[in-house]
Amino acid sequence: MTERDTDAASDIDLIKRAQAEDIDAFCLLAERYARRIHLLASHYCRNAQDAEDLSQEVWLKAYQAVRTFRFDSSFYTWLRRITINSFLNHRRSSFFKRRGQTMAVQLLQIDSELPQVLFESSSQENIYNKLLFESVVNALAELTPAQRLAFLLRHYEGMSYEEIANAMNCSSGTVKKGVWRAIGKLRARLSPESEAQESLTSLASEY
Amino acid sequence: MHNCKETKERFSELVLDGIDSLSDPSVSAELSRCAECRDEFEALSATLRTANRLGEMATPAEDYWPGYHSRLRQKLVNAQSVTTTSRAQAQRRREKLGPLFEPLRPGAGTSLFVKLLRTSVPVPVPLPLGIAIVVAAALLIPFAIRAARRDVTPSNNTTIVRVPVEVPVIQENVVTRVIYRERRSVAKASKRTTEAARAESTFAKSQKSQTEAIPVGLSGFKPSEEIKLTVIKGGVPNEK
Repeated sequence: MTERDTDAASDIDLIKRAQAEDIDAFCLLAERYARRIHLLASHYCRNAQDAEDLSQEVWLKAYQAVRTFRFDSSFYTWLRRITINSFLNHRRSSFFKRRGQTMAVQLLQIDSELPQVLFESSSQENIYNKLLFESVVNALAELTPAQRLAFLLRHYEGMSYEEIANAMNCSSGTVKKGVWRAIGKLRARLSPESEAQESLTSLASEY
Repeated sequence: MHNCKETKERFSELVLDGIDSLSDPSVSAELSRCAECRDEFEALSATLRTANRLGEMATPAEDYWPGYHSRLRQKLVNAQSVTTTSRAQAQRRREKLGPLFEPLRPGAGTSLFVKLLRTSVPVPVPLPLGIAIVVAAALLIPFAIRAARRDVTPSNNTTIVRVPVEVPVIQENVVTRVIYRERRSVAKASKRTTEAARAESTFAKSQKSQTEAIPVGLSGFKPSEEIKLTVIKGGVPNEK
């Protein structure tokens, strides 16, 4: 039996225990998949606190629904469907309503809102990465929640357009359009000619 | 033949799938033909690489996760306690009201209904008499329905309550119309009436001309007496 099979078997075992209301077993499952869910949530919400709340909401919903899991698909596929529904039902955070702010104002908020890992060292590269991350998240913030989610699922989860369309209850054309809109926004923000990129470079050199 | 649009679309999907141009010879061969496509492909790859790298960096540090999982565990415990409490309450309610609603339970209700449908009481009656009873019942049903409808009509015991209600009354306007007649024509008319016996044909002619001569307006009106008018000019009193 390979390591992968052992993992899969233990997943099944943990799920069965979780179905019998074993919280410890469910927490072990959460430890295995929490990072992936949290990564999606952090890109979807941008605010670290919102990302944690949203990812934990996904786990709560999964725990309440774990009895309905029929072992037809992998646990992560089932969990991802819950994640997508939770994200789509989640109200847009106040950040996404604030648009048209200047870069300088947004930079003041970085320290409180970006993941802590980006602040561990104060090297120039890390500061530049922080600003770059802010730029990426700002580009995603200009999209609708559905478009943002479509891009995250396509790019980070590697799902096909058809899979995303099935999960989000829309056409694959809509998904494709959303993904390319997201890529267009990212390119505009991250290309060397863009104003945002220029300001990032100059700000990073000042630090 | 190289088509930039097609190439860009195809390569864009490849970039999203994570295929590097260097790893795939067909991709690099296609890109070597067109500088514009190559630039496009490289820009797109760079953008998504940056997004990927930042995504990895956005994952919280290792020391973040114990706190995250303890908070999650606490939420799960709370959710489970709420669920357990609500389940216990529902169970208690069921136990308390169970005997009352036992026949209404889905399974029990069906069996009770079936039992009621199947229940019959055999009564020994001759067949013609039985048919006669059924026909009589069928004929009497419409009368019974009509009688029931009549009973619904209001009874004589109703009391009359008089309530004064103000009704708006249309007031008549008295319109007085003053008609002025010319004096000469009136005098002529009276004179002619005295002479009517003498010449009837002449009278008819004159009567006709008289009616035509009566003016409608005030033209030719003359007051019978002279009236002195005192005109008071405005400003100075007692001035005539």
